[in-house]
Amino acid sequence: MLDHLSTRRVFLQRGMTLLAATSTIPTFLDQTVLAVAGHDDELRVQPPSGKDGKILVVVQFSGGNDGLSMVIPYADDSYHRVRSQIGHDASTVHKLNDYIGLHPNLGPVADMIQKGMAAVVQGVGYPNPNRSHFRSMDIWQSARPEQQVETSGWLGRYFDNTCCGCDPQVGMSIGQQLPLAMQGDRVMPLAFERPEAFRYNGPDKERHQKLNSAVAQPPSAASAGTPEAELDFLHRTAMDAQLSSDKILQIMREFHSDSQYPPGEFGQGLRTIAAMIRGEMPTRVYYVSLGGFDTHANQRGRHDQLMKQFADGVKAFWKDMQDQRNDQRVLMMTFSEFGRRVAQNASAGTDHGTAAPMFLFGSSIKAEVVGRHPSLADLDQGDLKFTTDFRSVYASILQNWLDAPSKPILGSQFPTLPIINA
Amino acid sequence: MSALHPLLEPYEPGSHDPFDRLKAAHLLNRAGFGGTPAEVEKVLKLGPAGAVDWLLDFPDASAEERNAADVPNLSAIADIPSNFRELRQQLTNKTPEQRRQLQMKLNMANRDAFMATWGWWLKRMAHGPFQLQEKLAFFWHGHFTTSFRDERMTLLMWEQNELLRKMAAGSFRELVHAISRDPAMLDYLNNNQNRKGHPNENYARELMELFTLGIGNYSEDDVKQAARAFTGWMHDGDKYIFNARQHDFASKNFLGHTGNFNGDDVIEIILANPACARFISSELFEYFVHPGPQPQVVEALADILRGGNYQLRPLLQAMFRSRAFYNSQAIGIQIKSPVQLVIGTIRMLDLPMPPQPQALMGPLQLMGQVPMMPPNVKGWPGGHSWVNASTIFVRYNTATRLASLRTLSLGELPEESKTPEEIVDALVARLIQRPLSADKRQVLVDGYKSRPRSEQGIREVIQLIVSMPEYQLC
Repeated sequence: MLDHLSTRRVFLQRGMTLLAATSTIPTFLDQTVLAVAGHDDELRVQPPSGKDGKILVVVQFSGGNDGLSMVIPYADDSYHRVRSQIGHDASTVHKLNDYIGLHPNLGPVADMIQKGMAAVVQGVGYPNPNRSHFRSMDIWQSARPEQQVETSGWLGRYFDNTCCGCDPQVGMSIGQQLPLAMQGDRVMPLAFERPEAFRYNGPDKERHQKLNSAVAQPPSAASAGTPEAELDFLHRTAMDAQLSSDKILQIMREFHSDSQYPPGEFGQGLRTIAAMIRGEMPTRVYYVSLGGFDTHANQRGRHDQLMKQFADGVKAFWKDMQDQRNDQRVLMMTFSEFGRRVAQNASAGTDHGTAAPMFLFGSSIKAEVVGRHPSLADLDQGDLKFTTDFRSVYASILQNWLDAPSKPILGSQFPTLPIINA
Repeated sequence: MSALHPLLEPYEPGSHDPFDRLKAAHLLNRAGFGGTPAEVEKVLKLGPAGAVDWLLDFPDASAEERNAADVPNLSAIADIPSNFRELRQQLTNKTPEQRRQLQMKLNMANRDAFMATWGWWLKRMAHGPFQLQEKLAFFWHGHFTTSFRDERMTLLMWEQNELLRKMAAGSFRELVHAISRDPAMLDYLNNNQNRKGHPNENYARELMELFTLGIGNYSEDDVKQAARAFTGWMHDGDKYIFNARQHDFASKNFLGHTGNFNGDDVIEIILANPACARFISSELFEYFVHPGPQPQVVEALADILRGGNYQLRPLLQAMFRSRAFYNSQAIGIQIKSPVQLVIGTIRMLDLPMPPQPQALMGPLQLMGQVPMMPPNVKGWPGGHSWVNASTIFVRYNTATRLASLRTLSLGELPEESKTPEEIVDALVARLIQRPLSADKRQVLVDGYKSRPRSEQGIREVIQLIVSMPEYQLC
């Protein structure tokens, strides 16, 4: 297996011999040293460790997941009344209690709940819900519904507040673009769709690397705003990227797994994450998406298929975590930008709605069902009224799992939920 | 008017400080999207003053006014009524299912028309008739932002784009009045919902914070009062209307003035405030020259703007001719925006536009800048935010891919390029406006020597150059 620190050392030594007078070191190494030497108590430094640090995996359901088809109020007559075409028969759901049960394809999730390794948080949402995909996704990712223009996300601010090493490897998003949730003011985590695309693809890689790892002037001579300072910044970023790319590709090459991940981007994304955890990346937060939930018409077949894809992925991933003996270190969370309207529409689909349930997975889960299920009778213009603020879920994860203060990250103190063993 | 700041005096070439290729390329990088080799030669001949006059020599006209054929293909939305009333008529007496179908058709048509408009604009940036007009239109687009994410009527996006082009170097006063009536802007910042008794403050706030004054030059109450002045400023689908029934005709107190103000009055009070000319001068200088200008330089530019009744050309002329523009603080310190990187590569290498310019949307999205889709009302933050460990490979790979579209032949290099060293120097001079360290030059020379006198050798050296940190700057 790959030793994180020694790889960096080897790289630096190799760099030193190749380029006699090099003065550039990767940003994160430099800043980690600064952070450790510094005495800013506000910044709770968590030295990244690939072996024992706690990890959060965020699963985003894009498009607005129909919460009422995922966690089903099978015992509620009004559910069956307003969803005559797309509803699920009570006999097919995996019952969690005498009111709710899981979608028929979520057997693996139901198993995990039974083993005390997963929980449902019911009716999660926020005041004055927005029904635009973009805006509501921004709200969930920034965790600041009141702000019109948002430039950082809740996980980005977690990085800013705790990992002042600014190592881009603290966060990793599987997907083309870095989601707002992961963007910090100081830290920009990694984002890539496929590991093999996260590299220079031009000709003559050896010379390219030489051209990207040397600077003529020592950085001390470069004051801000000069071409030398800008070049230094670019060289450091290029080295960060090169190191991360080399390591990620090597980890992928060495990774073997007995788990059967479902085909498609989501399953392969989870497989990549399992490989990174196995490869002892110092990453604290992984992010992966499952898309296609905007089911305005003929919802049933599509949604059933998405639930199966999700459940198969979760099953494979957690089997890997157990085989790796890393299951104690990982917490997984699911969310979507909104749930959907309670009543189905005329096209056997559902329109944009509000509150929806979230799943949490991990060995430290201490509850099965948390929060109150929203009433199907007392609606707000056809939509559920939320019972748990999503920022309470975030606060619980930040405080009880990531050991970070939630107030500076979320803007105010939200009550935590009795869901994670601190 | 205060005395001209020494840094704003025109740069005069001298024997110690000649107007060379580096400076000519710098002017074409900033007052455009990067120069073709022919343009660099032309600018060298014209000299710094003549070159700026040439760059500023474009009509205050939209693309369509100048040439009716120079427009995107909007046939996809040709049959769609843009007027709300006609649109409503189409939707009445329809079943919900029919309405859904119609809405879907509208969305598809607008998306197709948007892709055509988007590709047309990128093509115009690369090979259009007026580099500076296009660069200014792009600057104003990042200033007076509107996004297709929120404004799904392509016609309105296109009309706003033409407005920014037409008024790019004209009167800033007229531009503010016009953008305040622009349907896409009225939608984007919700002034269409700004009604008497129920004001929506979004436009009034951004007008002052981002468009004219900058934060700190007005109070929260000024925002509320200005919002009242803009009530009833709406559009009917494709053109501005003043809805008197929704307008608040009562008296307002705004920035120390009292009266029954409407939106135009509010704009005039803002323009009369010294902070406005200062704010715009500073925004222009930071975008085109360098960040953090000295206050005296900003003040002197603001004087030019106010002295010329907010005409932009005198300011632009002074700025692009100034010593500050050719200062070492200015040359080669800008991290190229993704658009500058892509369009500049096409121009500096004399490449054809890809047959489907829309193919550039993917890479631009990964690099964080899709024209007509800014991330929010503040536009693109620029600077270091362009470059991080995830975007840098995309930047390298995109430039390398573009550079492989066509290979330069030896005949296209300057006559004197004979030895590998000379060939490398010629390519570096063309692509990077700064000297290269000796060891990096040697790496490139060795690269060429491994495939000497071949097109493949030239191609690979170019591909190595455009994936160097030096190439990220301009």
